[in-house]
Amino acid sequence: MGTLLNLLPHLVNGITLGLLFALIALGFMLILGLMEQINLAHGSLFALGAYFAYAICAPRLPLPPDVLGMWAAVPLGWRFAAAVVLAPILVAPFGLVLERLMRRTYGRDPLYGLLLTFGVAMVLEELIRMVWGTRDYILPVPREMSGGFIMLDLIWSTYRFWAAALAIVAMAGVWAIVERTRFGAMVKAGAHDSEIVQALGIDLTRLRVWVFVLGTMLAAFAGVVLAPLWGIRPHMGVDAVVPAFLIIVLGGVGSFWGAAIGGLLVGMVVGLSGAYASEWSMLSMYLLLIAVVTLRARGLFGKKSVLEV
Amino acid sequence: MAPGRLVPTFTPAMLVSWLLFATVPMWIERVGLYQYLGVEILIFAIYALAYNLVLGHAGLPSFGHGAFFGIGAYAFGLAQFNLAASLWVGLAVAVLAAGLGGTLVALFISHRRGIYYALMTIAFGQVFWFIAIKAHSITGGEDGLLKIERLPVALGIVTFDLRDNTALYYFVLAVFVGVSLLLWRLVHSPFGRIVKAIKQNETRARFVGYDVWRYKAAVLIISAALSGLAGGLFSMAQTSAFPDVMSLHYSGYVVMMTLVGGGLVSFWGPVVGAVAFFLARDMIGALTTGWMLWFGLFFVALVLFKPEGIAGIFAGLATRKHKTTSAPVSNPQPQER
Repeated sequence: MGTLLNLLPHLVNGITLGLLFALIALGFMLILGLMEQINLAHGSLFALGAYFAYAICAPRLPLPPDVLGMWAAVPLGWRFAAAVVLAPILVAPFGLVLERLMRRTYGRDPLYGLLLTFGVAMVLEELIRMVWGTRDYILPVPREMSGGFIMLDLIWSTYRFWAAALAIVAMAGVWAIVERTRFGAMVKAGAHDSEIVQALGIDLTRLRVWVFVLGTMLAAFAGVVLAPLWGIRPHMGVDAVVPAFLIIVLGGVGSFWGAAIGGLLVGMVVGLSGAYASEWSMLSMYLLLIAVVTLRARGLFGKKSVLEV
Repeated sequence: MAPGRLVPTFTPAMLVSWLLFATVPMWIERVGLYQYLGVEILIFAIYALAYNLVLGHAGLPSFGHGAFFGIGAYAFGLAQFNLAASLWVGLAVAVLAAGLGGTLVALFISHRRGIYYALMTIAFGQVFWFIAIKAHSITGGEDGLLKIERLPVALGIVTFDLRDNTALYYFVLAVFVGVSLLLWRLVHSPFGRIVKAIKQNETRARFVGYDVWRYKAAVLIISAALSGLAGGLFSMAQTSAFPDVMSLHYSGYVVMMTLVGGGLVSFWGPVVGAVAFFLARDMIGALTTGWMLWFGLFFVALVLFKPEGIAGIFAGLATRKHKTTSAPVSNPQPQER
């Protein structure tokens, strides 16, 4: 019992971390599972979301000073809420352009999509460096969401739970869109058999644009949510995209529940190994991946996909 | 190369480019560059040639090659500190250690191909990178492994000192010539032919009776070992070894070099790419701070419109008059769905 109580904070930590990992992986999963494209620029879009949120929350926008003063007078809570909503919308056009570029790679070896998005990731990261510089930023969090509270004689960070809650909301939203709407049904059918879907008169090109925009906005949303926890820096994109793809491979390509459970599993492993060797905790997720994928070639819930060609 | 014809040990084009490289120290400073740049370019040319064995010749998209380069770099330094202060020992240990790392990775991923191969190599690359950062007592962590010496080349009776960048350049050039000869031979050997067959159609190669797994593993191990050699040379040139060469970024850079130069269609492509990469870094970097922005855009444009790279552009210009067939890049694999 004693040891269990000692492990509790690490367990809770692991679950919240897992939800956040799953949130990062969500947009990546959509684009990979429904469009069969690896989007290595996912992390850069994630970073852009965080930077835009910073620009909205800490007013240093290129606006006239009196407008800026009025915006700065708005309580931080409202500014943060505005960032959560606006940052993904502002990042969406980047996704539109990227999808436009990727169109040329559809139907070719998926390697080209991977290379293309790697190049785009490099470009976006450099753009961020040029605009915001290499320094770190901290996204201010409204007082109601920051700080900590005491439970079971332990101090818990309040924002972690808010972030986990936002992650659950986003995941539920994506699940509802994919599983419970006509749009979701069409997209899934398109991934399964694009020829038949097109023969039925559905505009697959437009559908793909929407999926990509949705994935982009999810990346940006994850960036906003995670920025207060992880900080904002140019290479945060790469730090985020690696766990994202790892979770997808672990959970199985094209599986919503695979991504959710994969995220939780990774979070728990990192959290619990952090209890024993905090220095090495991030290594455990790679070892988990290698172990799982060695035993189950397609991950936990994966189906055969075009990527195995 | 038409089947049945004997492949020469080296081609006139190779000889010309070696000679061209040999003249570099004589004029590089006059065009406003510096000797060390030549060393860097040649080392990465070796690295990219070795990498292309996996990407271009075997069609296996490794995105974690930085790990092998980095292992070589650390191994060279550690051998010098703990084993013997000899250049040959250091380079041999670098090759062996990276080859060992490659063997470990190959054991886990040689049954895979395509995107899964890429994803698994990213995972392994991250593992090695992470260990390099965290194993502070061995690698020096993020501070790096410092004070690695440029050891003299001991050839029995004569010894050459490498502390001068020009001397180091010629030593690296000698290694480069050796590696390019070796790889040229390998690619055109029966082994190379089988690897090529696996690239074109793995299933068919298996049905013909080849042990595909063993060939794919061998390709990765050889490539890793030679990448380690480049890494060892690099730590000697830098007189230090840092974990950043093992990061996903650096693993991506070698992919960029190889592809930009035209590694998919040309043996020399990776060398062209390494030259282009470093010239872009220094020349665009002199004009603006964000050189990667422009190189990245160039890379994106190449992936979209000319995946055959710079070599492909030249080959296209040369063959346009004769035939309209350009070398196939994406080999159409049978769609098994």
